[in-house]
Amino acid sequence: MKKLLTLALALVMMLSLVAFASAEDVTLDVIIAQYGPSTQDWFLGTGMNGTSFVKKFEEANPGIKLNLEVVSWNDLYTVVSTRISNNNAPDILNIDVFADYANEGLLLPVSDYCPEELYKDFFPSFIQESVIDGTVWAVPDLASARALYYNVDLLKEAGIEEVPTTWAELEDASQAIIDAFNGEVYPWGIDMTTDEGQAAFAYYTWGNNGGFVNDKGEWILNSDENVKAIEYAIGLVKSGFTNPNPATQTRYDLQDMFGAKKLAMVIAPNSLPTYIKDKGYTDVNLATASIPHNEGASSSSVGVMDRIMAFRKDSADQASRNEAIGKFLTFFYDPENYVGWVSMEGFLPAVNSAVGALVAADPSFEAWLNVLGSAKFYPTTKAEWNDVKQGVIAVEQEALTGGDVKTLLDNLQAKIAGK
Amino acid sequence: MNSSATFQKKWEPYLWILPSCLLMLIFVVFPIGIVFRLAFSKISRAGVVGSFSGLQNFADAVSAPVFPHVMLNTLIWVVSVVGLSTLIGFTAAMVLNQPFRGRKIARSIMVFPWAASLVIQASVWNYIIKMEYGNLNNILLNLGMIQDAVNWRSSYQIEFVWECAIGIIVTIPFVTFTILSGLQSIDPSYYEAATVDGASFWQKLFNITLPLVRPSLTVSTVLNIIYVFNSFPIIYTITKGAPANKTDTMVTYLYMLAFYDQKKGPATALSVIGFVILCVVSGAYMVLTMRKEDSL
Repeated sequence: MKKLLTLALALVMMLSLVAFASAEDVTLDVIIAQYGPSTQDWFLGTGMNGTSFVKKFEEANPGIKLNLEVVSWNDLYTVVSTRISNNNAPDILNIDVFADYANEGLLLPVSDYCPEELYKDFFPSFIQESVIDGTVWAVPDLASARALYYNVDLLKEAGIEEVPTTWAELEDASQAIIDAFNGEVYPWGIDMTTDEGQAAFAYYTWGNNGGFVNDKGEWILNSDENVKAIEYAIGLVKSGFTNPNPATQTRYDLQDMFGAKKLAMVIAPNSLPTYIKDKGYTDVNLATASIPHNEGASSSSVGVMDRIMAFRKDSADQASRNEAIGKFLTFFYDPENYVGWVSMEGFLPAVNSAVGALVAADPSFEAWLNVLGSAKFYPTTKAEWNDVKQGVIAVEQEALTGGDVKTLLDNLQAKIAGK
Repeated sequence: MNSSATFQKKWEPYLWILPSCLLMLIFVVFPIGIVFRLAFSKISRAGVVGSFSGLQNFADAVSAPVFPHVMLNTLIWVVSVVGLSTLIGFTAAMVLNQPFRGRKIARSIMVFPWAASLVIQASVWNYIIKMEYGNLNNILLNLGMIQDAVNWRSSYQIEFVWECAIGIIVTIPFVTFTILSGLQSIDPSYYEAATVDGASFWQKLFNITLPLVRPSLTVSTVLNIIYVFNSFPIIYTITKGAPANKTDTMVTYLYMLAFYDQKKGPATALSVIGFVILCVVSGAYMVLTMRKEDSL
């Protein structure tokens, strides 16, 4: 009982402290996604040249306190939706999705808080990906692009002179690798898990002139091109050219296999070299190429972008809050801070002012920025996107267990477009 | 003076149980209330709780095409894990109740798996059955029992069997120890008398051991049904319900529904259904076994 009392007393004291602080200052609740093992340390520990982002920000901006939390991707959606359910949304959120929040009127338009100068610094094509009904609801924090990574030595050993660019060449190369290594090396990696199965859908349908939506932005999930593309991908699995369990082997499993030289080719983000190096695989002779496509179609990279957004609080001090959010963003995207963060996380930048410094530090960035320029993005601005994402993953997994791709995609299209 | 003493005597017990009642209220009753409220409310995709929506969430949950399969999985999961772990655990308890050299060591080895967290055990098993660098394949290959690495997870049916098997293995220690405590409380003179009268092993088992161990058996089975029904880590760690919810049980399915598909309404409705099922099943089991006890 004594313990309980002490606890209660401590709680009351903490609460009164918080109340005291907010009487004078603006306190911003910030949720940051954990991109890697150093994220936490950079924002809250000593990872930013001996200090932390929060400390540095609060020193530079007296009167603004940050209540910043770094949350892992596994828990991020749970944390955010629970906080929204409890009327306790953060002021600033770093996540990938935004359409549901925007459609339900929970977000502030970017123009309410983002300083003009900073706004102009974002890549315009990135900003376009966060527009619903003519309003910008979020700003990009970073991006990644996908390309084909292959193990040069394994391909050479299997007698493959040139890395496959078309689907037919990919099948030939896969067969050659199977023959050369007696099946000990998987030629091709496929991830159809709930983790990122939507990426597989994009890789194959975009490589066959199909995709999620048509030029008018209407869902075309069951187009002939898409059916062919998914049948092709499932065919690769059935022929034994891929990792054996695509429904449960995530991108990270594949990257591990690639590092361990168990997998010859895999589509992965530009962070793959850092990932396998951190895992202790040092002698992988790797190179990149564009993602193979069907004869007569063109290759396109898949761009993935995450965002920062601000929630509406409807409090009396909204104006000073908006100003504080603007200061947070200005500080975050300041090349002095932002460049270190983006290169630490191994991603591609979202602002022009960071490009120079990043390319100077690592020339390979330039090639990736070009890839990013031609990359297609998921249709995340559409309200049905989340259902589509889960839907295509379910289609892939059903198809793996023997379902008919055409029927499955027809049903999904009817479910999504029939809404 | 006298009256205040009676007052104190009357209220003192309540004072003592007040902290645990408060804890129950805050961490058990209150959340249950919230879930019930959510189950009957419209919840937006982002998580905003809206107005009363009647049984809509329940209708949505039950009419999902995968629902029957998930319920069938849940039934297989609970019956096989509880049934087999009870059978094996009971046998193990009988063995451990015999006097033999090293019994103490055997008992502590038995309890080890129970001390490790379920997530850790599930992750370890996940590595053991991995095709590429799993321990099972490595051992069999080194022993020369197989020539090529075997894909131990070649279909979702097999994956689900693995999950049930792992569920059984991690549940055995709990059953063993609950039943062992029951066995130890049986007066040895019963067995001596039965042996003198010429009773066989099976006669002793069915006429002495089982009736006397029934209270512990009831406790272990009811708790087991609840634990296993609600068990999340094994399935989530090994398959996450993939492919296409085919290895999901109700609990993993409703988690995916709530936090991957952003359908919190149907998910909370499902957890209410699960709660009711558990209340009915464990209630019925307790009533049935208690009745038998009375008629003894």
